[in-house]
Amino acid sequence: MAEVAFPSFSTREEVDFVIVGTGAAGGVIAKELSVAGHSVVLLEQGPHLQASDFHHDEWAYDHNLELTWGRSQGYPQTFRKFESDVAEEREMVCGYAHNVGGSSMHFSGNFWRFRPIDFIEASVRGTIAGTNFSDWPITYSDLEPYYTKVDWEVGVSGLQGSWDPPRSREYPCPPMPIKGSDVLLERAAKAMGLNPYPAPVAILSQPHNGRPGCIHCGFCNGYGCEVNAKSSSLVTMIPLALASGNCELRTHCTVHRVDTNEKGRATEVVYWGADGVVQAQRAKAVVLCANGSETPRLLLMSESAQHPDGLANSSGMVGKNLMFNGYSTVMGLFDEPVNAYKSVPATRVVHDFYELDPSVGFYGGGGIDGRHPSRGTPMGFALMAAPAFGTPAWGSDFKADLAYQFAHAAAFDGHTTSLPLSTNNITLDPTVKDKFGRPAIRTTYMDHPDDIETMRWFYEKTVEMMQIAGASNIVGDYERDGQEGNVHLLGTCRMGNDPDSSVIDATNRAHDVPNLFMCDGSSLVTSGRGQPTMTIMALAFRAGELISRAARRNEI
Amino acid sequence: MSRRHDNICTRFALSQLYGVSRLSVFRSRRNFLMDSAVVAKGSLLTLSLPAILSACQRSQLALEQGAEFRVFDAETAADLIAIAARIIPTDDTPGATEAGVIYFLDTIFDEPKRASQLASLKEGLLTLREQLPPDGRYFYELDEKQQDLLLSDNEQTPFFVTMRFLTIAGTFSLPMYGGNRNKVGYQLIGYEDRGAWWPPYGFYDADHVERGE
Repeated sequence: MAEVAFPSFSTREEVDFVIVGTGAAGGVIAKELSVAGHSVVLLEQGPHLQASDFHHDEWAYDHNLELTWGRSQGYPQTFRKFESDVAEEREMVCGYAHNVGGSSMHFSGNFWRFRPIDFIEASVRGTIAGTNFSDWPITYSDLEPYYTKVDWEVGVSGLQGSWDPPRSREYPCPPMPIKGSDVLLERAAKAMGLNPYPAPVAILSQPHNGRPGCIHCGFCNGYGCEVNAKSSSLVTMIPLALASGNCELRTHCTVHRVDTNEKGRATEVVYWGADGVVQAQRAKAVVLCANGSETPRLLLMSESAQHPDGLANSSGMVGKNLMFNGYSTVMGLFDEPVNAYKSVPATRVVHDFYELDPSVGFYGGGGIDGRHPSRGTPMGFALMAAPAFGTPAWGSDFKADLAYQFAHAAAFDGHTTSLPLSTNNITLDPTVKDKFGRPAIRTTYMDHPDDIETMRWFYEKTVEMMQIAGASNIVGDYERDGQEGNVHLLGTCRMGNDPDSSVIDATNRAHDVPNLFMCDGSSLVTSGRGQPTMTIMALAFRAGELISRAARRNEI
Repeated sequence: MSRRHDNICTRFALSQLYGVSRLSVFRSRRNFLMDSAVVAKGSLLTLSLPAILSACQRSQLALEQGAEFRVFDAETAADLIAIAARIIPTDDTPGATEAGVIYFLDTIFDEPKRASQLASLKEGLLTLREQLPPDGRYFYELDEKQQDLLLSDNEQTPFFVTMRFLTIAGTFSLPMYGGNRNKVGYQLIGYEDRGAWWPPYGFYDADHVERGE
């Protein structure tokens, strides 16, 4: 095979596209555009880690944030529940991995498609006063071909069946072998007349597209895959983009501005390069895929006389409608070893409560899966078990309890809806800066009462399931006081047909700036049921195709 | 599901479930240890660690080998070893002492960015020593029962909370950080450190297959 000539573009050369961010969306769009023949400069603020860099290192990843970065690395964030509060500086609020592949590198791999209802729920269910709950400008059938592209090009394992939303093609890989935690979930669910089914995951159960199958090491959630079985952008899309010969990947580049000209068009992306020197890459068009917190921050930082409230923000919706997804968790102990610390996080899911009946008196819905209580991590479990189970926190009894609990524990988790609210948002912190002097991401967030009620509903349902499963020592909780951070960063540059109430149109193009596109979690109009990455990738395949088509027609 | 259970499963517990994946963990770790600093990888890989301390030798050996610690004097090391040994004791199975928690501490606190945390830790130890009986100078000189009583009185202090955190971290982290020697932490909880498995993983999935479910 001939050696691929990697391009090296001059910053003064007007490339076809600059893409900011290499994660679930950025990786896909970089691949789609570069393989289609467009010249692409791909900017990433973190390093290009490889499988050999990843270890089961709780101390480094979970406790020193070496993949996600936080205040300790010079990237503080601030949080407040209400706009009337002064935000408090935190180690981290919106969490995401800083590396090529973004959070698709360290995520759990749960890969539920959205369902037809997710796109039209406001029409079907009715709008909700005080919220921005609305339909998408596209439907499930618009996105289905791209879900299928993700299945095959990125790599998804699952089992097609009556439980699936409509699909045009079967899964490329069979489902993961069931884990003990999900046997317990499945038995309880069936006893309750529910319909558990094999969880679709972006982790290969067998070789596919030249990558190996999973070795079931158990370190998915929060960790990079050491065998490349996890279908991240890092190992699925970025290599294809680079192999196209049309894409230059620049790592350690910290973007702080998108410049526009007097015609209102984006002209260049300004960033600090790896050496700390300011650079500005000129481009015919700009695609922001920096995630649901970084993308709105960048737009707000790109204010100018022409765009006094931030770029692409004539609607005032940039940064608003932040949705985290709710969650609940219940755990218990079982008589025999479950060993849920082995293999992928979840192998069964219950979607019978995807839409709660309106008779419950609030809006919501979600899914339930089985897990290990601490993601299978030994240190994490040892820290958490005693306070969770109410058992002694130190001494010989603590030790004896731990020796039993780790292998015998299982958790049933609820993953739920969040409503879009103007008051839940990303803004620029007025005082706190990161180490580059960029305003810190300020998160203002309080779950809607219906979101908290939904979490409570799932919490109580999973307590019942644990009891039916035969667990002892059942404990659990949900975010009853509202969440104060998350890794699902959705809705902050929402898609819509109306430029007064949305930031991007149905093709991911900014309403206000003809050659600026946003595609990542920020594009989502509604939250889905707690596993957004599949939909982010499908949107990115669709956006990549539409953007390429527009470029070829000279319509950008 | 009792109300007590609801209360027991505090936000701390919930947050620990998700670690990096669910961000509430970051507000649960707001004790002084976690306020700053990363572990420098380079310094960890160039360690030359002394031999494992056995249970019967623990504090005395620390005193004799005091010179081998980079950030602790012999008495501080001996006290920290003794405290860690009450949190994860050596009984019929190895504990914090055999895991080499003290070497984990000596490793991570050698990182210059942890200087202020180390100072806080040492200050916390001095405050603990002030509570010793009038003739006592060091924690390790107490018998185990006295040690447990004193630690119980200090259970809610940042110093004890941090020592509990560090003892667990040193027992269960990767051995490259100086602790979890001979993988005693993994053995304690029944974690098979193979890094790869094939089903059946445990009892219930084996049973699932056997029953043809």
